[in-house]
Amino acid sequence: MKYTTFNQQPVDTMQEHMFFGKPVNVARYDQQRHPIFEKLIEKQISFFWRPEEVDVSKDRVDFLKLTDAEKHIFSSNLKYQTLLDSVQGRSPNIAFLPIISLPELETWVETWSFFETIHSRSYTHILRNLFNDPSAVFDDIVVNEEIKKRATDISKYYDDLIFYTQLYQTRGEGVYDVDGYTHEVSIRNLKKKLFLCMNSVNALEAIRFYVSFACTFAFAERELMEGNSKIIRLIARDENIHLTSTQHILNLWAKGKDDPEMAEISKELEQEAKDIFMLAVQQEKEWASYLFKDGSMLGLNEEILCQYVEYIANQRMAAIGLGQPYESKSNPLPWMNNYLSSDNVQVAPQETEISSYLVGQIDSEVGSEDFEEFEL
Amino acid sequence: MFVKDKQPTQVCVNSHTCFSFKNEENLLIAMEKQNIDVHFHCREGFCGACRTKLVSGEIEYIIDPLAFIDDDEVLVCCCIPKSDVELKTY
Ligand code: FES
Ligand SMILES: [Fe+2]
Ligand SMILES: [Fe+2]
Repeated sequence: MKYTTFNQQPVDTMQEHMFFGKPVNVARYDQQRHPIFEKLIEKQISFFWRPEEVDVSKDRVDFLKLTDAEKHIFSSNLKYQTLLDSVQGRSPNIAFLPIISLPELETWVETWSFFETIHSRSYTHILRNLFNDPSAVFDDIVVNEEIKKRATDISKYYDDLIFYTQLYQTRGEGVYDVDGYTHEVSIRNLKKKLFLCMNSVNALEAIRFYVSFACTFAFAERELMEGNSKIIRLIARDENIHLTSTQHILNLWAKGKDDPEMAEISKELEQEAKDIFMLAVQQEKEWASYLFKDGSMLGLNEEILCQYVEYIANQRMAAIGLGQPYESKSNPLPWMNNYLSSDNVQVAPQETEISSYLVGQIDSEVGSEDFEEFEL
Repeated sequence: MFVKDKQPTQVCVNSHTCFSFKNEENLLIAMEKQNIDVHFHCREGFCGACRTKLVSGEIEYIIDPLAFIDDDEVLVCCCIPKSDVELKTY
């Protein structure tokens, strides 16, 4: 079925599934098949932030004081995160928008991707401050073997779904030979590819950032690279909401609350879903060992970091019905939680002293008490 | 307004720790006061880390929960008990 940017047939979106139904036409939110996505849009937008609001200038001095091993840890993590957000800034749009049939989900995906582009821009903001010419760091992302290994696994499910969608939307169902490969394009097959892709994205949002988050916050615990840490806190908050969205999608399918065929596929491909998640866990652990190859950093080592990945993975696999395959049942890095909780609820103690913390946001939050001395 | 005196709400966790709810801001804070190990990240209902099984009783959300939860689960960071409750942590 050909994609159209405005389907001229009347559609009752209340009867549609999230994906592979009739293309959307009116961007309307007065009636919603899955209202959760609009709530996520509102929440995500309420988190809006700009990298430029965060003062990272002190980090440059800190960076010079780091050991070479620590510098390697810091810049490698930034490279990896840059890769992740490069993929996430474009792929949900390109892969999911052409096959979405609900306006609230369409707008959620667009909102989600937009925030990933904020993350990408924030890395340039950080790196510009640290290096006179950050291009060496960016250039290395496409040649660094350790990063490339991960890039393949992150993008392949997206690429596969995108390619099959293109074949389907230009030629319809059928078997096609393209560049020496045979492709069997059927709705069932497309739905399977969508399922695997969603699981891979879910694993990405769930754990792929956490080794790097842990290192960032471990520096912050030592009052180092705090500007960077403020940015990463904002990113982590966004990633949590992205994860919530993919968990909702996967559970709506699995619990038969959307497309019944997707419920079948969720059962049929459960093992593949598990494998995707566990491979991501494995790669994160390997990443930890690459980070610490020249030596660890104060407060963190490879072993404890791997335990943390397993701990997070257990929780996040359980959230989508994949059980808790790992040993780690308690949090080996309890201080991480201070950085992962929402700002207004709990602020890590050392940050209350930092006046530059989110200058723009704080200044614009004028509470009623600020007016107490004013008489009208 | 006349407020009737009532028995404090009882919270039982993992069938061994029982305590009365003293109008803490939410169940998560109340559980933390008892040194019960509860997972959390956002403390605002959108990440799902604090998912807990509600074995019996009723709760009331004070913040709209956005994270995915199963029918028998609650997000303790954004609810308070409405009756005596029994909870099971993960
Ligand atoms: S701590 Fe995030 S939902 Fe409760
Ligand atoms: Fe991101
Ligand atoms: Fe994300």
